[in-house]
Amino acid sequence: MKRSRALALVAMLVALAVLPNFLKSYGVYLMTLFCVYLMATMGLNLTVGYAGQMSLGHAAFLGIGAYHAAILMKLGWPFLAVLPVAAVVCFAVGLALGFPALRVQHHYLAFATLGFNILVYLVMRNEEKVTGGTFGISGIPRPSLFGFSLDGSLAFFYFTFGSVLLLGLVLWGLLRSPWGRAFAALRDNPIRAESLGINITAYTLLAFAIGAACAGIGGVYFAALVQFIEPSPFNVAASLTMLLAIIVGGSGRFFGPVLGTVVVVLLPEWLRFMQNWYLAVFGFAVVALMVWLPGGLLSIPIPKRFGKRAGK
Amino acid sequence: MTAAAKFLEVKEMRKAYGAIKAVDGVTMSVGPGEIVGVIGPNGSGKTTLFNSILGQIKPTSGAVEFCGEDVTGMSPLELARRGVGRTFQTLQVFGKLSVRDNLIVAAQEFKGSLPGRLIAKPDAGLGERADEMIDLFRLQHVAGALAGTLSYGQQKLIDIAMAFMAAPRLVLLDEPCAGVNPSLVDQLRELLVELNRSQGGSFVVIEHNMDFVMKLCPHVICMVEGKVLAEGPPAAVQANRQVLEAYLGN
Repeated sequence: MKRSRALALVAMLVALAVLPNFLKSYGVYLMTLFCVYLMATMGLNLTVGYAGQMSLGHAAFLGIGAYHAAILMKLGWPFLAVLPVAAVVCFAVGLALGFPALRVQHHYLAFATLGFNILVYLVMRNEEKVTGGTFGISGIPRPSLFGFSLDGSLAFFYFTFGSVLLLGLVLWGLLRSPWGRAFAALRDNPIRAESLGINITAYTLLAFAIGAACAGIGGVYFAALVQFIEPSPFNVAASLTMLLAIIVGGSGRFFGPVLGTVVVVLLPEWLRFMQNWYLAVFGFAVVALMVWLPGGLLSIPIPKRFGKRAGK
Repeated sequence: MTAAAKFLEVKEMRKAYGAIKAVDGVTMSVGPGEIVGVIGPNGSGKTTLFNSILGQIKPTSGAVEFCGEDVTGMSPLELARRGVGRTFQTLQVFGKLSVRDNLIVAAQEFKGSLPGRLIAKPDAGLGERADEMIDLFRLQHVAGALAGTLSYGQQKLIDIAMAFMAAPRLVLLDEPCAGVNPSLVDQLRELLVELNRSQGGSFVVIEHNMDFVMKLCPHVICMVEGKVLAEGPPAAVQANRQVLEAYLGN
């Protein structure tokens, strides 16, 4: 990594770590929600951006993780035991969702995954005995870690912030490994990839499964953050929002989801001073971004002079 | 060629699209270390024959044997694992990967297991081999560049280098000279001769550049309308009256 980029990354992390100390509780909640969504969008970036698959059903995995957390934690399971369970379940369901991708691509795959999201949403809404239906599940406890309570919003933020950094490091390692190169080959040219001995079946399924596991982990943190879950945060609109985050930030770029999640989670809140107009302005900003920056925010060219100064 | 020496055998291969017989009963064989040229006019079934051999399309009938094993209808993945490489008629590099990464990804799946590659070094232990190929193909000055940003000729060299990266036992090259400038054609021929000498694999080359084929391939097959019209040493095929009438002209 170039020195200028490393410095920018450190500055961004320090800013993210320090900022919540100066925010009210709703601001801390939003920063934590940003971290939760970032877990899911980083996973989606692997599936869509790096491996070139299409998914309009990612929010379903966030929901599966959240419901696992809600049900198991209310049964007394510790948070750290719920995390791997939710990740493994979502990994397995993600593998299953990957199978349509072996048969169809592009908009056909988009609709197959969208159908999956609708199916999961209906299960969450209609299976009242398990999920509480539209009444949801309330009273989800915040975790405690080695006897240290994370009930406070700031404490839970730092826990989530640390977790998203850890997940980011794991994904960074994965994408730098030969797997990352195989995902890129699968995205760029699957026919050529197969002729070079790359098992496109395995990598397609893994791309879905790993992305799903990340969202499942995010779902566990989501349940602990909001402490009450019901089906609506996991509908198709949420999946579209996550996909928007990937595309706005820069699909297939490691830090793309960070910027994209800022846009979809934090920007609408910053625009609230516009009162009734804030969603219209947000919508216009997204349209403008798509038209002028189809490669996402990270495709903005950095002026050479600025780059040189920063690199000094 | 004796039966024992046969390495790749294609028997009575047929591929029909409705009433159109793209490949119509082609039988051919390739020996170990041999370079065979396949020539013929456009639409004569050369690429369809390649795709049928390589599992890219399902042949209507016929058989393919590789090293004595029936590999008819096997997927490109299974054939790649058996040491069969290929290039395509059009450029097929991974445009968003660097030249070096294009070469590494072309061989990494033959190193270790799938879970093992997750914790392997980023270059999968293939950095040295990739650098050798970069030197051989004279791509040192663009080794770190994204393949998609390079010229057509450079991408063609990367494409071919990728096919040889894992040192396959058999490589099928589909029009390696297409769109390549004349000076690069000679370089390409020298490279293939060098790779044939150093790696010892067998090559089957589809090509329209007669000078290239005649200088490179000791054995040439001419296909017309899905059938083998003539085969033998290049000079004999070039002088064959039917080949002259159907393809080469006077």
